[in-house]
Amino acid sequence: MKLITTILIFVTLFVVGVSWVANTSRTHPITFVVPKGWPQPVYDFKQNPLTQEGFDLGKKLFYDGRLSKDGNFPCASCHQQFAAFATYDHNLSHGYNNSFTRRNAPPLFNLAWQKEFMWDGGINHLDLQPLAPITDTNEMAETIQNVLGKLKKDTAYRRMFKAAFGDENITTQRMTKALSQFVVMMVSANSKYDRVMRGEDSFNLPQRLGYEIFKRKCVSCHTEPLFTDLSYRNTGLATDDYLHDIGRMKITNDAKDSLKFKVPSLRNAAVTAPYGHDGRFASLLRVMMFYNSGVLNSATTDSLVRRGIPLSNYEIGQLTAFIYTLTDSSFLKDPRFAPPGYESRTQQAPIEHIH
Amino acid sequence: MQCNEVFLCSRLKNMNAAPVASHSCTTTILLNASGAIGLLFYRPCVFCNAVLQTIFKSNLSKNVGVFPAEYKSEPPSVRRNKSSIRDILLGTKNVFLNFIHNSAAIFLPLLLFFCNAETIAQEGSANKLVINFKNMVGGQLLQTDSVYTNTFGETFTVRTFKYYISNIVLSDDATGKKQFYKDQYFLVDEDDSTSKKIELTTTLNSITSVNFLLGVDSLKNVSGIQTGNLDPAKGMFWTWNTGYVMAKLEGNSPVAKTPQHAFSYHVGGYKKNEQTVRQINLVLPQKLICENAAVQLTVQANILAWFNTMNAIKIGDVAFCHEPGMLAVRLADNYSKMFKVVQ
Repeated sequence: MKLITTILIFVTLFVVGVSWVANTSRTHPITFVVPKGWPQPVYDFKQNPLTQEGFDLGKKLFYDGRLSKDGNFPCASCHQQFAAFATYDHNLSHGYNNSFTRRNAPPLFNLAWQKEFMWDGGINHLDLQPLAPITDTNEMAETIQNVLGKLKKDTAYRRMFKAAFGDENITTQRMTKALSQFVVMMVSANSKYDRVMRGEDSFNLPQRLGYEIFKRKCVSCHTEPLFTDLSYRNTGLATDDYLHDIGRMKITNDAKDSLKFKVPSLRNAAVTAPYGHDGRFASLLRVMMFYNSGVLNSATTDSLVRRGIPLSNYEIGQLTAFIYTLTDSSFLKDPRFAPPGYESRTQQAPIEHIH
Repeated sequence: MQCNEVFLCSRLKNMNAAPVASHSCTTTILLNASGAIGLLFYRPCVFCNAVLQTIFKSNLSKNVGVFPAEYKSEPPSVRRNKSSIRDILLGTKNVFLNFIHNSAAIFLPLLLFFCNAETIAQEGSANKLVINFKNMVGGQLLQTDSVYTNTFGETFTVRTFKYYISNIVLSDDATGKKQFYKDQYFLVDEDDSTSKKIELTTTLNSITSVNFLLGVDSLKNVSGIQTGNLDPAKGMFWTWNTGYVMAKLEGNSPVAKTPQHAFSYHVGGYKKNEQTVRQINLVLPQKLICENAAVQLTVQANILAWFNTMNAIKIGDVAFCHEPGMLAVRLADNYSKMFKVVQ
């Protein structure tokens, strides 16, 4: 019995020792910080522990055109930091071979709290999301096998996959998990609104009045703190007779979901124009004018907007002032997310605030 | 097939979190010193694989069957090109393994006691079982350059035929014993002859029925990115509407009202009312006695079942199925009848 105990203790010490040494000699974990008062994220970090090495690899992949067929369309071609990772000033984004996407590129932030992705919620996990744009013929138009082939030929990638995952094996799973590590860190929670909520700043009069109007007329769908309840709703937009986009119904095959799209977040809305699932609204003013008088009623139009949302010019002005407080400039200029080589330079849209 | 998380450290860190379902091997080792420290390994990493192999090889004349077939191709030395610290560790490991080797007689009962009952031997002997999948059209072996006729008189050729096989269960009805192969996913592909041979290690003395899922269970459809046979790069995955294609049949038929008269049935869907996974239960014509040599079993998959078993589906009426829904479910009902076991 004494012998067994001795052996077991020896084994235990050895295993703990090995794990300790192996751990300290390898990756550098990074911490995901949940902003105070926010719900717990839905992304399961235990399945994809964040490390500096994984994040760096994800960033390289995000900005690498080789993920597309002709090398011209990295993820970042439609997701630009100065536009909160939406496409600046484009209703629809450009894809391979002069094609256009069929929907407005959504901004990327606070993805850790999203269960489903895309305007129709068709993708059920962040780690699977990159595969859709990579393979879609009007986006990056590449095959997963080809992408992996290109990465495997690159010694820099082999080195980075080894640093992040322990060996040079390059797989779909590792590639998309690395991308997830990069994008999941994009948390936007430091706008003026957030500072006011934390008691570090205060609204001016129009912003304060705008917040009051927001709480009366917008908050049921654009719930705080994410400024979206992540539900799917038909806001009464007329269908485009070229795109014929039925929205959520394409995923569920349920007529009740016809013309429903995910409620977009209002965070950083001032820099993500144009608006709407097909980018039909060029400015915040047009969006609000639509709610005031343009809602089209059909079988699935949301009960909250069936009669429109009456907004006076005065209210539109105050609301706009409030929405501007949701712009998180520290996120838009965060060097961690900047294109490689641009970390120390200020990123700016070509022309600021033209709308 | 690589061991995803190789280092003990990651195991230690995740031991509270790792759900059993997402790992291919449920080998569990509990080293318990005075009840104080417990270590859980849901998959054998290279290290504990080596430990286990050393122990079992030295003390048993037969392979006990702890290791799922897919791990066998990976020798424990595969990770030898690590950092210098790893080299030192490996050196230490060898010393350690020698130590273990000598004291294996004491270790073995302990390990057996704590190991997961599903994958580890209970009867002390393990045999190889090979399930051969043979794709058929009626009574003929499928040839991708031949023309066939379905029961509606429609002629067709087959270019692609693939399907997932998972969650295999072998049963011995006489003794009531069952052996489960959880979290093992096989993609049978007409174009890849090696994929048509599924090798399993069984500890059952005899087998009377084989059960499996045709397709990928819903858990794996909602658990994010997978690897191995479930890698989306295998082309059996819908990226825009998450979910696996459980089975795929493509070809040409003059009656198909489509460009190049192509027909293509990609059958998938895991949500309520869209389920296309089918439980297949095959009773063996006669009891299969598992002896020391590899035992063979042949399962035939008859493509004609796709057109006219539960539902009548004519290529002339519907040539494309590329999304979950009613048509996919009807095709799935049909393919649930396509298997037959022969010995």
